[in-house]
Amino acid sequence: MGATEPVLLRVQGATKTFGSIQAVDMVDLELRIGESVGLIGPNGAGKSTFLSLLSGDQQVSAGRVSFEGRDISRVPAHARVVAGIARAAQIPQTFGRLSLRENVLLPSLFGARLPQREAEDWCREVLAMVGLDARPDVPAGALGLLDRKRLELAKAVAARPRLLLLDEIAAGLTEPEVETIMALVRRLQAGRAIVWVEHIPAALRGTCERLVVMDKGAKTHDGPFAEVWADRSLQEIYMGVPDDDISAH
Amino acid sequence: MIRISELLVLAAGLMAAILGALFIDSGLLFLLCEVLVIFLLAQMWNLLAGFSGQMSLGHQAFVGLGAYTLFYIANHTAIPLWLVLALVPCLIGLLAIPLGLVMFHLKQAYFAVGMWVVAEILMQLTAKAQWLGGTSGMTLRPGGTMLSGEPERPAFAIAAFGAVALVVALRVFLRTRLGLATLALRENEAAAASAGVDVKRLHLILFCLTAAGTSAAGGLYYITSLYITPQDAFQINWMITMMFVTVIGGLGTLTGPALGTIILIGAREAMTAAGYSGGQYWIVMGAAAVIVLLLAPRGLWPALAPRIRAAFTTSTKSKA
Repeated sequence: MGATEPVLLRVQGATKTFGSIQAVDMVDLELRIGESVGLIGPNGAGKSTFLSLLSGDQQVSAGRVSFEGRDISRVPAHARVVAGIARAAQIPQTFGRLSLRENVLLPSLFGARLPQREAEDWCREVLAMVGLDARPDVPAGALGLLDRKRLELAKAVAARPRLLLLDEIAAGLTEPEVETIMALVRRLQAGRAIVWVEHIPAALRGTCERLVVMDKGAKTHDGPFAEVWADRSLQEIYMGVPDDDISAH
Repeated sequence: MIRISELLVLAAGLMAAILGALFIDSGLLFLLCEVLVIFLLAQMWNLLAGFSGQMSLGHQAFVGLGAYTLFYIANHTAIPLWLVLALVPCLIGLLAIPLGLVMFHLKQAYFAVGMWVVAEILMQLTAKAQWLGGTSGMTLRPGGTMLSGEPERPAFAIAAFGAVALVVALRVFLRTRLGLATLALRENEAAAASAGVDVKRLHLILFCLTAAGTSAAGGLYYITSLYITPQDAFQINWMITMMFVTVIGGLGTLTGPALGTIILIGAREAMTAAGYSGGQYWIVMGAAAVIVLLLAPRGLWPALAPRIRAAFTTSTKSKA
């Protein structure tokens, strides 16, 4: 279904340098509504930096990021949220002294630009979606890790993004908890594109039909999940040794 | 929107302000004016440092700017003094826009110290400006004549109503969408931006509001003293007082600065009455600050509030 939709996100030659280090190196990516992409790679491959180039937390040193046909390379993070790109952070960035409802209300009002009353209704809906609707008035600081991750996801969803960026939202969770998060992400796929960075392949396998691999800042693979996953050069990237060497010893 | 209870508080505040101005003895009014001005100043600094997360060490700049602007306009025009007082926060609030845009290039501690430098520069410039009286300062002579009557009476009424109105206004503000964004800013600036809040713009709004409020309180204070010098109006002691009162009482709470002001002035009056010197008073206050921050790092009010609430609920339960 993805190919019939217009291109939502177009990244051309995105590059990010920190001094002499090339964190992201000439990455191209095209995404359509309805597509979910898993993004994997070894530590330091530049996955999180690449996500922050999309979310606007950092800006490209060279290259171009377009969203819905508009060049947003220089647009700051808060304006990209309004434009339709939201990110759920690796470490939940919740507002500890605010209630769950208020945590979700903020992106509904500012990110999604909803009027107060609609925003209140939307908050209830989002909290119910992530399973946090039982006690909307407790402060976020009182939540455990899984619930904080749920709330982080709820905050991103509340901004009504057409591009949802998920940064290791399953990291640190137990297996049944990962299942819960996967089920949640699957419910969020309709009507939007998702880029999900994760170290747990099982979580991505069940949700993303497309897999992108990054290594040393560059994109090395991009294609249907099963195909990329079966690619023998993937082991080379993760193990740091060519296949031939393994068989030779 | 504003609640009935808050309207009642406003009405009660207005009544108290008028009755106080009419019937309280003049000497006590001076003291109360000082208490209220300190509370207003502290609450303004609290809004900036405690809620918006921007620690400024130079808000005395706005005390001085407000007071000098008030004196200059009042002395050189026919505009009534109390109208000038209403004009001052508008002018200084606008002036804070370009100042904020420049100073926001500095972050955190650099911003805090940068603001202090701004205040020092303003003090030096004012001392050099002969048209502002130079180092010897200015006397308040609205329209060129000495102020007649007892200015502390209207000053008290304005300060008292202003203090009540400010707390009500802040409560109402914190319920609005911009208020929610401010509370989020207090918790986590990056996360507020990720929710779509234009953090820089919100910082600038709060910076201007606090500059305006601080200048009005400064102007009010110097109306009661009738005389102003650069060394007095731009002194760092204003800043220390705002900070002491807010941090001891509870940074980022609306009640904290009130509690802090009562402690600061209450202790001063009690110790002066008992014959202790100013030096001894500051030793006690310094020690009190250290002890409070060791035992209750977030200030007295956040430490006390849950206990007061708990005591209140158990007592009402036992009655029922």
